[in-house]
Amino acid sequence: MLNRRNFLKLGAAATTTVASGASLNVHAAKELPHWGNKDFSPATGKQRQAIPSACWQCVTRCANMGYVEDGRLVKIESNVNSIRTEGVMCAKGQAAVNHTYDPDRLLYPMQRVGERGSGQWKRISWNEALDMIAARMKKNRDAGTPEKVAFHYGRMKASHSKTIGGFFKAFGTGSIGNHTALCEGGKWTAQELTWGGHYDNWDFDNTKFVLNFGSNVLETHTNHIPTAHRLLWAMAEKGVEMVSFDVRLSNTAAKSSEWVPVKPGTDAAVIAAMINVVMSEGLYKGDGEEFLKYTRVTEDVNADVATKIATIKKHVKDYTPKWAEKISGVPASKITELARRFAKTKPSVLVSYRGLVAHYNGNEGERLAQLLCAVTGQMDKPGTRMKAVGAGWKWPKIPKAKKIKKLDIFDGFPGQVAYPTHHVAEMVLPMIKDGRNGRPDMYIMYCWTPAYANGNVGEAIDILKDEKLMPFVVSVDPFYGDSTMYADLILPDTPFTERWTAEDMVDPAQIGEFYIRQPFTKPLGEARDFSDVVFDLAKRLGVDMGKAKSHEDFVRLACDNTPGVKEAGGFAYMKKHGVWHDKKAKPQQQVYNRPVAESVYKAKGVVLDSASGVYWKPASEADAKKGYVATKGAYKKYVAQKMPHGVFSGFAPDKVNKSGYLELWSPLLKAKGFNPFPTWMEIPEHQKMGPDDLVLTTFKHATQTHSRTMNCKYLAEVYHNNPAWINPVTAKARGIYDGDRIKVTSEVGEMVTKARVTEAIIPGVVAISHHCGHWAYGRYASGRRAPFTDEDRGDRDFKLKWWTENGVHPNWIIPNSPDPINGQQRWMDTVVQVTRV
Amino acid sequence: MTTHSTPTISRRQMLKRMGAATAGVTVVAAAPMAARAAKKQEVRYAMVIDTRRCSGCQACSIACKAEFEVPLGAVRSWVEHIEVGQYPNVERRMLPRLCNQCSEPPCVEVCPTEPKKATYKRESDGIVVVDENLCIGCAKCLEACPYDARFMNPHKGDPVKTKGNGVADKCDFCLHRISQGVQPSCVNTCQGKARIFGDLNDPTSEVAKLVDEYDTTVLLRGKKTKPSVFYIGADYLEAKKDPKADQYFRLDTHRKEPSSKRWA
Repeated sequence: MLNRRNFLKLGAAATTTVASGASLNVHAAKELPHWGNKDFSPATGKQRQAIPSACWQCVTRCANMGYVEDGRLVKIESNVNSIRTEGVMCAKGQAAVNHTYDPDRLLYPMQRVGERGSGQWKRISWNEALDMIAARMKKNRDAGTPEKVAFHYGRMKASHSKTIGGFFKAFGTGSIGNHTALCEGGKWTAQELTWGGHYDNWDFDNTKFVLNFGSNVLETHTNHIPTAHRLLWAMAEKGVEMVSFDVRLSNTAAKSSEWVPVKPGTDAAVIAAMINVVMSEGLYKGDGEEFLKYTRVTEDVNADVATKIATIKKHVKDYTPKWAEKISGVPASKITELARRFAKTKPSVLVSYRGLVAHYNGNEGERLAQLLCAVTGQMDKPGTRMKAVGAGWKWPKIPKAKKIKKLDIFDGFPGQVAYPTHHVAEMVLPMIKDGRNGRPDMYIMYCWTPAYANGNVGEAIDILKDEKLMPFVVSVDPFYGDSTMYADLILPDTPFTERWTAEDMVDPAQIGEFYIRQPFTKPLGEARDFSDVVFDLAKRLGVDMGKAKSHEDFVRLACDNTPGVKEAGGFAYMKKHGVWHDKKAKPQQQVYNRPVAESVYKAKGVVLDSASGVYWKPASEADAKKGYVATKGAYKKYVAQKMPHGVFSGFAPDKVNKSGYLELWSPLLKAKGFNPFPTWMEIPEHQKMGPDDLVLTTFKHATQTHSRTMNCKYLAEVYHNNPAWINPVTAKARGIYDGDRIKVTSEVGEMVTKARVTEAIIPGVVAISHHCGHWAYGRYASGRRAPFTDEDRGDRDFKLKWWTENGVHPNWIIPNSPDPINGQQRWMDTVVQVTRV
Repeated sequence: MTTHSTPTISRRQMLKRMGAATAGVTVVAAAPMAARAAKKQEVRYAMVIDTRRCSGCQACSIACKAEFEVPLGAVRSWVEHIEVGQYPNVERRMLPRLCNQCSEPPCVEVCPTEPKKATYKRESDGIVVVDENLCIGCAKCLEACPYDARFMNPHKGDPVKTKGNGVADKCDFCLHRISQGVQPSCVNTCQGKARIFGDLNDPTSEVAKLVDEYDTTVLLRGKKTKPSVFYIGADYLEAKKDPKADQYFRLDTHRKEPSSKRWA
């Protein structure tokens, strides 16, 4: 089947060929009728069994198609019927065949017998393993301390989140951690503070200009392929130009019409200056003025647009392009030119990611980005940054425990982070070490490698090894991971190729795609999906998991009960096709300006909070008195927003008690001592830099996810070594030449690596990629073998592995250091010294 | 700042629109046309690679690896990254590579097996293939290929006949897929749709249209191999000697051995 957006219109020609009666043998075929969803063995010509499913190499979770030959998964491609991917796929997703058959994959439960980290294990049965876990959970529940069972995941989404998370909440522990602050949690918090629910979709299908601050969207993104391929097509087919601000010439910057090098941590100043240009040149007129009706930039929620404009002008008065040039190194003329271009090209889309947000001032950078979009009206309409749409499954219910208790170790030290709405993953181990808020009796890691994924690796390993701090550590992992090696008990998880899930990731078509993951093959050895294991644990503990009896059952119920999917044929349909979307649905846009009927905002129990202009439904008289902003969890009771020109749906809040405006004057930030208006903030460490200091930044490569793909042999073959990028000018000043060994030193440690002296990076910076420098994770990743693995498990490539260098891991010298507003780990702020070894 | 334009209209298109299809342009386009006319065959399979659509993501490389279980150390398809320029005017160009399926394949010429050559060009569609049952593992074709597109596959062939060398292997445009009407594995994975596959002898095919419409480049034109792989947006490969020959240049092949054979 051909893709709907096949720009070459192969379809027409193919149909002609068939209709004209020409046989489809290779000699006569003029065009090929099938884009994909079919594969054949090159050796035998036999058709391979095609199974629609979904990827899980990264959080994008693309619908895919697995091909099985004689019971073995041999190939993964895209599912051509997916409206998200439109039939294309990345390198990482296809290399998942390597995960399934990694010779270092763990296949049996194991219990530690030697010292932690010594690599001495004994094989145990699932019964023994689960008894051990259940006994410990029961002991804590009986003692009234269920919160001492801490569950920390790295990646867990959709139905996996519902069943696994649901189990722990049903048991009674709320001590559940995630890893979002290590990714982009800061961006999400900034979005929650401004336009409510997080996640922005960049509408490349309809845009005319892309302004990119620090996103390597063509190589890596939380919605990578669904987003990236649309951008490439827009550039190639419609001549859409993209300008990318980045410290480094990423492949995204290389494919842009223009790369603008910017000093690390200063994108926010450039954006502030662009707002200055828009305001001083009147470029807000028209669309910007209209949008400002729905924007809050003053304490007074009834301010008119003229007052708002005057307020913004006053606030950004000093953010001149000349001022920003001094800070960022970007010429003032370039800032002015791009501000005009962004404002005048309708529609334009503003793209931002870790280059903007993984800094001390990241929250403010993202808020400034939202302000620039607001004053130009480039927001939440086709071709701009839009509020994202995903699939809304109707999940089976798992009843929560009557009382859920939690250890306060997931949100950083007291006073450290103002609004940790996505938690502060990087501070969890330091908080456990500190102990002031208690320590877990059992720490369960699920798809989570705290020693590798956080900063300050050395400290993390010390904490994991310390049995006084961490009495019992369980790891659920398909592989012998860099943190799993320090566990007391290992449960062999399945790679995603052997799992069920009902999936829901954001759809750039703004419609929402329902899709499922189903196993390509049976689990190898005794590996089990943890989302099935929790059903067993629930039985042992007498925990009620609701109607479902297994994870497959849970997925079946979701498919059979979700409106739309159900009528299409439910579970049977989804197993056959993998994907479903409502063909009549229109792309969602402009959720904020829908008038709300009086019958809704004047309904019984709904009151107006005059300070915020929010119509809400307080739970009690006392809450009503306290007011909307000050009442805990009030955002859940939001109904509508009163504005001078009417009552509207507004930008509904999520996670924090913001108003229904696009809130750019934030009483929440004011209450925590920050400037309520988006403001340029200096990075304290950069202020103190000496003339010889450099800034260390990190990045990702198109063929790798952050931590979990270096054991895919095909990917490791392409990218296994990560010399430090350094500009020739910066290098020469230190006597460094290409390929030299260099020492990089920060406040928390030093490391030796090699220099890649390249013109493709701004002077004053050293950039080291993630992915490399594993000390475990199997032989392809680190050269180190996992316990209880055969020589090669029939992997005929094993003896052909030719690379011996595995690169370095920059996190050893990056301190754990959260953004003070949102808790985002500041990957791009570390000050270092670089010398030739 | 680096400004590299992404032209949406080729020079040739522009000239056509201006009604000035000059002789100079015809000469540029003549090479592929001539190549097409060189041999009378029903079908000539070809690939056009629009480098403007390539982001260097390597999905094609991995798709190929998995499709054929290509041994580590070897590649049938790969992507080269070429960094040139001086900060801040620096570019990174992406060059997807594969067997050129030459109309005049030097690899076939040197194949010593008798009476039938183990590596040969299929008269029916122009694809150069290796018959692993005939190959004796002498590796002469690897030497002869100016593009470094071949490798010895240790997992194929008769170990006695090949003296344990394995057999020569390389891209065959996914013959097993296209013969069933399915796009090659590297084509259907490409997120930019940079790879376009089809029959160059069919004037209505997209590959024929693109080759006619654009000033395409082939690798090592001077070797007169008449490749069936055409590049859009890779004119730099055929540029005359760069006046600033000492400028920064870095090539990442992402292959085991940096090849001694180059495209220009």
